[in-house]
Amino acid sequence: MRNSDASDFATSQEASAHGAAPSVLLIEDEPNIATAIAFLLQRDGWRVSTHCDGATALDAVLRHVPDVVVLDVMLPGKSGFDVLAAIRGSDRPDLPVLMLTAKGQTKDRERAEALGVSTFMTKPFSNQELLTRVRALVPSH
Amino acid sequence: MKATLPTGTRIRERRLAAGLRQSAVAQAAGISASYLNLIEHNRRPIGGALLNRLADVLEVDQAVLSEEHDSGLAEALRAIGAARGLSEDRLAETLDLVRRTPDWARLIADQAEALEAQARTIEALSDRLTHDPSLADAMHELLSAVSVVRSTASILAQTPEIDSNWLGRFHKNLDADSRRLADGAEAVVSYLDQAAEEGDAQLLPSEVVARFLDRHRHAFPALEADGAAAIPDLVAELTDPRARLLATEMLQADAADAARLPRDVVAAAEAPEQLARASGGDLALVLRRLGVVDPGRGLVICDAAGALIRRKPAAGFPLPIMGAGCPLWPLFGALSQPGRAVVAPLETPDGAGWLAHAIAEPVGVARFDRPPSLRATMLITRATATDQAQPIGPGCRVCPRTDCEARREPSVITGAVMGLDMAGGSEDTAP
Repeated sequence: MRNSDASDFATSQEASAHGAAPSVLLIEDEPNIATAIAFLLQRDGWRVSTHCDGATALDAVLRHVPDVVVLDVMLPGKSGFDVLAAIRGSDRPDLPVLMLTAKGQTKDRERAEALGVSTFMTKPFSNQELLTRVRALVPSH
Repeated sequence: MKATLPTGTRIRERRLAAGLRQSAVAQAAGISASYLNLIEHNRRPIGGALLNRLADVLEVDQAVLSEEHDSGLAEALRAIGAARGLSEDRLAETLDLVRRTPDWARLIADQAEALEAQARTIEALSDRLTHDPSLADAMHELLSAVSVVRSTASILAQTPEIDSNWLGRFHKNLDADSRRLADGAEAVVSYLDQAAEEGDAQLLPSEVVARFLDRHRHAFPALEADGAAAIPDLVAELTDPRARLLATEMLQADAADAARLPRDVVAAAEAPEQLARASGGDLALVLRRLGVVDPGRGLVICDAAGALIRRKPAAGFPLPIMGAGCPLWPLFGALSQPGRAVVAPLETPDGAGWLAHAIAEPVGVARFDRPPSLRATMLITRATATDQAQPIGPGCRVCPRTDCEARREPSVITGAVMGLDMAGGSEDTAP
């Protein structure tokens, strides 16, 4: 899967200054799930940038600072936990992060909560619930 | 109290218990009677070859005569008791227990060891299911594919005017992930089949025999032709001797049934009622024979406690692999009126119709001083669905019905818990 160009959206601060739509950085290595989530979010008025591996996604997060990060746990290279820990240790530690993992992985949830995840969802997920959770992370949306 | 009984005292106790004279034992062991007397009164040390010779003469294991014998068992019991929270006063009694009732003491220790071994087995199996990378990968594939299918299908259903490019993309994704879902399901089933084949060593003998019967679909042509003489060859595939014994007993009963109601007679009948006369009025025999001979019929036998001791599923009428059946089966109703046949139309959760014949009968020799042990037999035959059919299921654990007051445990399929609410109850009628 090819990463979309993270420069498609500027920093959230710049976007807000120009009244642009809020942005989501989607980090998901399953291309068909990424396609569905990207469609849903775009239709809901979000600007979406997708990445399929943790290392490039982390770089994009730190450079462009989206409004929300949607993060899969299982990723090639850096895992979702690695990315989450790096975000929490960065100069944007309060960046909202929604984490996705396979259903029944209680340990994943506990680990994510220990690392400071904002919200957590299991796959398979309801489209409506995903949108509700993402919107809740950016109250102004 | 001395921690152990001296070896000389043990020898004396064993000799007296065997009713042997001191001189006779001494002569057989190659020592003088006076020397044996000193040994028995613990005035001479003993060990090595002489202890072995005395053990041979007394026909006991050398370890039984040694001072370490009781203390080792007592220590094992002490550890078992301590692990289960017994007080120090009770723990101090272990050596006395070993001396007074050595066989019971050994049984307790053996049982505790067996329990620990089973706990280890359960832990290992649980660990395997949790951490096996093959299963984890297969489940991850399944969940990923399910996620795509669910999310994409929702988008298509809820977005009437969708751009043709997106539409084509979603259709392509659905096609790819539905194939992936099928492959993933196949991989999981294959994994579980393999685990089941490797898991025979962990099974109870009754479970091994149940699998043995399933492999043969409960039909043994050799048994029909040659009777009980065919049994040794049939059970040779079972490596567990306890399972082999259990299977032998079961096949002996089948052979006796076959001798009383031959296959040709059974195969010619279309309904149980047609065999009542040929069976001499033994309706349970009729049900067992039809269940075994006709591959299209199901057969369930339970004891008075409701434990399923034989289960042959019919195609479309699933039976639980483990645990109890559906409390609404006529099989259990028959237990309350022994000797009276029950014939009832049934409906499985998929809407299919069935006809059940059930009867309970006493087993063993009748006695004046105690009630008979009962066994119930139920034959399951595919039938046309009717409005009067009793809704039943395969057993609560795997039953999808959500509105059954007879439910005793949640369903692993739907999570349904109705009927478990002892405090409130429901206005719905069962099930």
